[in-house]
Amino acid sequence: MRSLADHRILRPAETALALELVTEMDLLRLKTIARLHARGLPPDVGWEDLLQEAITRVLTGARHTPDGVPLVAFLAGVMRSLKSEHWRRVRAATRSRVAGARDPRTFPGPEAALLEAAPDPERSLIAIEQLKAIEQLFAGDSQVLGIIDGLGAGLTADQIRSRLALSKTDYDSARKRMRRCLLREGLTCGPK
Amino acid sequence: MRTKVTRTFPEMALERILGALEHELITAADQEILEAAEDLGMKPRMKGSAAFLGLRYPQQHRPGEFFDAQWMLAVLNDPRRVWLATEAPSRKPATTPDTPPQTSSRSKRPSRPPKESGES
Repeated sequence: MRSLADHRILRPAETALALELVTEMDLLRLKTIARLHARGLPPDVGWEDLLQEAITRVLTGARHTPDGVPLVAFLAGVMRSLKSEHWRRVRAATRSRVAGARDPRTFPGPEAALLEAAPDPERSLIAIEQLKAIEQLFAGDSQVLGIIDGLGAGLTADQIRSRLALSKTDYDSARKRMRRCLLREGLTCGPK
Repeated sequence: MRTKVTRTFPEMALERILGALEHELITAADQEILEAAEDLGMKPRMKGSAAFLGLRYPQQHRPGEFFDAQWMLAVLNDPRRVWLATEAPSRKPATTPDTPPQTSSRSKRPSRPPKESGES
């Protein structure tokens, strides 16, 4: 029986590595970022799909890396955009379902505009769950949790430091602990 | 006087946090990555390291990677396979160490009564 798995064909990540676009450490960095962004996505969209698709888009030229932007940062942006694309598709599908269920003559323009502006309850719920998951990840480290809270509120590093009364050294060491925890979580082989 | 209420939507807060965490990971040093991998018992410098699961080789092998799709459909729809799946388990009793092994079915039978003298 002929196997469909042809080992001569490289995966996108391997191709990028073979072309020396990224290093092995970059791939691991990208894996942790992909796992971070794949949080909250449905089970059929895994972190692997997100990352390999982002690399494929760069390799095929569908996305051009701007000059002066490191490829890892660019690929992270592509993954973010793929995630947004997914949510846009979900919202569009929901809207078309709702619009299909209602007669457009009964609910003209303003109704549709309200529907457009309404927050997506499914996405809000997923976001709340993900925020809780992130809090659990750093549970027991009040300084890191304080920093996360400040980041969520859109505060700058200086504002967070003054809010938590942290010295620069304490702030930097808390960030280092945060990175270590994120890297451990991102490199694990377990489910996302 | 009405106080100003600033409400952060969870989606927005999550996006900000993920953006900041993403930046932390982009700027993480190679040494930090290696240390985190070592915490998990991984050695990324070695060939075939588990750290590269999903990157250089698939995290989960799917049957489709090895078998032809038509062949898989044929196997899954094969009535003999369905029959095999629904076959009752064998009724062979499990032998325990306490029970002596039975040599033959004859040993189960009760011993015959002795023949009487008048019998032919």
